[in-house]
This record gives sequence, structure tokens and C-alpha cells, in this order.
Amino acid sequence: MKRITYLTCTLVVASMVAEMVGWSMAAGNFLIPVIAIPLGVIVILACRAQVDIVIADERENRIRGRAALRTLEVVAIGGAIAAIILYSYIVSIPLAPIITGKLVIGDDGRQSMTIAEYQPGSVPGPDTLVRSTTINDLSSMNESEAFAYSSYVREGFKENEDRGLAGTTIAGCLAAMLAIFGAFYLYYNRKY
Amino acid sequence: MKNRIKVLRAERDMTQEQLAELAGVTRNTIISMEKNKYSPSLKLAYRIAHIFGIGIDDIFTYEEEIDGPSGDDE
Repeated sequence: MKRITYLTCTLVVASMVAEMVGWSMAAGNFLIPVIAIPLGVIVILACRAQVDIVIADERENRIRGRAALRTLEVVAIGGAIAAIILYSYIVSIPLAPIITGKLVIGDDGRQSMTIAEYQPGSVPGPDTLVRSTTINDLSSMNESEAFAYSSYVREGFKENEDRGLAGTTIAGCLAAMLAIFGAFYLYYNRKY
Repeated sequence: MKNRIKVLRAERDMTQEQLAELAGVTRNTIISMEKNKYSPSLKLAYRIAHIFGIGIDDIFTYEEEIDGPSGDDE
């Protein structure tokens, strides 16, 4: 088997396994991945054994090792920066939206409130207004007003929280990746 | 590390592909070695010396400050 045939086989098998895993997840059948993934690995290893030319030697391994190490360094540094930037959306006040509430008591004693959301880090004003809502009578607010009142702050911060969640996820993945690297490093350090 | 692989190969009318096959490495590795871009591991150096039927010293000459990946530190 030529190298190109082996690569084609690997690509086809990987695509089929990915498709089967995706379909099984959608269908809620978790038995298929348990069978499909090891089967795919076996087929790829069998194809690899049939390749009649040298596909990886010491130079190739050395280059891959260096490339993997550089990738790890770039991803670790880039990921750490991205994680910190994204997480700062949760904890940093200048990056958070400005939400104000203005209570007005009328001559008849009726309380109305206007809630407004302004762009993060801006001076509240008509130009920086993102959205606003007014509850005409706080003591007898209707269902939609009550919903708007309860969800306003939550929705205002949702975008920041999503970014923070992405940052936390990246940080988690990074920590896991470095932990795996450390485990392999210790393993090979003991082996050689 | 400098080497005489290209000369020795030419003397024996051997192609890069043939040497690669005998040494159990890729043709790219032979090309890199011939260009003095890659220093082989001791194991590969001995294998190449064995293929040519001469000693390692007759093929490889040690020189300081050659950049590029080396098989020795694997």
C-alpha cells in the first residue's frame, strides 16, 4: 500500500467514525461510539501495517516532536492570554454593561421606573443607550413588565457571562492539556 | 556533523531511494543528511556505515555549530 492510499483510508475511516458518533449522539445511542471508535483505530492500524514504505523515521519523529512542542507553547501562551481576556469580562467593571434604574413618584403617588442599559465603559447618555424599558406602575405591573424587570440585569450580563464561560472553558482545556503533557513528560523521563 | 554520504553513494551507483530503503528511513532523511541539515542518531550512523562497509569515521566528521535537528538527542 502506498502512503497516499494509507492517508486516504485514514481519512475515510475517520470521517465514517465521526459521522457514526455524531449520528449516535443525536439518536441517543451511546453503544455505537464504544464499538465504532476502537474498530476505526484497528482498521487504521491494519492499514498502517500494510504500508510498504517507511512513513516515519527518527528525523520525522524529531520534527514532529519539535512541532508538537512549539504548538504546545503557542497554544499554552495564546490560550492563557485568551482565557484571561475572556474571563475579565465577568470580573472587570469597565467591561460590564452599565445598568441604571430611575424611580419616579408621580403626584398621585404612583411609582414608575425606567431601567436602561448603556454600552460598557461609556458615559450613560442617549448615544450610548443599548435599550431601555419603563414600568409605568410598580404596584400593578403586568406580566410582561415583571418579566422584563426580572430578566433585565440577567440579560444585560449574559454576553459577558458567555465570554467568561468561554474563558473558563479554554483555561480548563489548557490545564488539562498541560497536565497530560506533564504526565507524558514524567513517563518518558522515567523510561529514558 | 559533516558527511560523505553523497560521494559514497555515487561511488556505489546507489540512489537515495535505495539507500533510504536499506537504512530503513525516508528519502527525505537521506536528502537532509546529504545537505548536512540533519545529524543522524548513532544507531542510524552505524547502519549507514554498515551499508557502505566502512567505519563511521570514514563517513562522518564532527564539526561544532551545525544547526538543525539531531537524532542523537532523541
